[in-house]
Amino acid sequence: MSALDGLLTFFASHHAVRAEKLLRTDGFAVELIPGPKELSPNCGVALRFELERRDEALGLLGSKKVEVDEVHHYVPRTDAWKPARTGRRFFRRRDE
Amino acid sequence: MDVIYLDNAATSWPKPPEVRDALDRYFGEGGGNPGRSGHRMSVAAARIVEDARDAVAELFAIDDPSRVLFGKNVTEGLNLGITGTVKPGDHVITSSIEHNSVMRPLRHLETIGVDVTVVACAADGTLDAAAVEAAIRPETRLIVTLHGSNVMGTLLPIADIAGIARSRGIPYLVDAAQTAGAIPIDVDALGIDMLAFTGHKALLGLTGTGGLVVADHVELEPIMRGGTGSRSDLEIQPDFRPDAFESGTLNVAGLAGLAAGVRFLLGRGVDHVAAHERSLVDRFLRGAAEVPGVEVHGPADLDLRCGVVSFAIDGLVSSEVGTLLDREYGIMSRVGLHCAPGAHRTLGTFPTGSVRFGFSVFTTHDEVDAGLEAVDEIAAWARSER
Repeated sequence: MSALDGLLTFFASHHAVRAEKLLRTDGFAVELIPGPKELSPNCGVALRFELERRDEALGLLGSKKVEVDEVHHYVPRTDAWKPARTGRRFFRRRDE
Repeated sequence: MDVIYLDNAATSWPKPPEVRDALDRYFGEGGGNPGRSGHRMSVAAARIVEDARDAVAELFAIDDPSRVLFGKNVTEGLNLGITGTVKPGDHVITSSIEHNSVMRPLRHLETIGVDVTVVACAADGTLDAAAVEAAIRPETRLIVTLHGSNVMGTLLPIADIAGIARSRGIPYLVDAAQTAGAIPIDVDALGIDMLAFTGHKALLGLTGTGGLVVADHVELEPIMRGGTGSRSDLEIQPDFRPDAFESGTLNVAGLAGLAAGVRFLLGRGVDHVAAHERSLVDRFLRGAAEVPGVEVHGPADLDLRCGVVSFAIDGLVSSEVGTLLDREYGIMSRVGLHCAPGAHRTLGTFPTGSVRFGFSVFTTHDEVDAGLEAVDEIAAWARSER
């Protein structure tokens, strides 16, 4: 997971899902995530990948007419998620 | 991890088992082309379409099923209602919290000489019908608003707007994407001239179904022309409903599912669905109020809300919350702008958007509580990260 330090954003999920399929089939490590809204309001989904393979990835996508919006160096803060177990229960579940 | 599906405002899941059964029957028996060929399988398909029309007519309390025009979604219904009534030189009134299925057709019409007034809603999405009345001009030919906001769940005063529109002789088109099947809508009693609906949300049917309910007095132009199976001797479009507006083979399988979904709702009672979703929203609002750093958008008054809630967690972007809800809790939400930039500008949440939960007839109180617990833990993590 830590190697997935790059992010491709797209104008439409059509391109995002096609990119995921193409890159995965070609042996790239990729992961579709909800598009980070601080980067772009455009994308429903964005694609994490290994930034060191940027040129290879963009070359492949370009040759298949998949349009990329932007390439970012991006590691989601949620990778550092450590559950803060509050133990709080709401309503009926409080009594379980 | 069990999935908790709180994205019913995007599309409902699960569907009633009756919907699956109806599709099984369709594939087994009904698979002809409706109204075209006249053999028994064609007639069976036509019956499916008309059964769906009857079910939708009953749901909206209209006596003439030919007023139900089927298309592929609410977007098509809205495009028909908007571009089928408005011409260059006309004036249209809408609200500031509309979905792009209304705003994009209107913004396009502006480029060909239609004037559009966007009446501002308050920051919680509420709208004073008097503001709509004040925007009326002699050349106003259409008022179009949503019923329930797909962003923060706010209900607009459709009865008041319909009364104003009717008294001024202006057609009123209602976008009921979020409310059809979730809140009782008596189209004629409310005085609504056109109502666009989708089949795959609260009507519990399939994607690819929806349409427009239209009143007799509305002069509507088709937006698409083609084969209808009727008046095949003529190369001009028939002028009668529903054929004038239903060119090309309909989504018969989808309509079989839609009919089953609507019949399920009619059996359950839409008023009961509304009461159930109201109790879910009440529970969510009360629970979220206990969580530090969580802001729920929209009005506090449950009378002004449908089964959609939208919120923000302090310190996190909506997409981060969506990622954690899915990955760590198996909770499906919808984050971002919800195809409604105007609504988020009204809310003050443009361009990063919000996190949305959409409830359904099948959502349970326990699922709302699980959602609250997840939000509570995510908010606690966000505080610890600062």
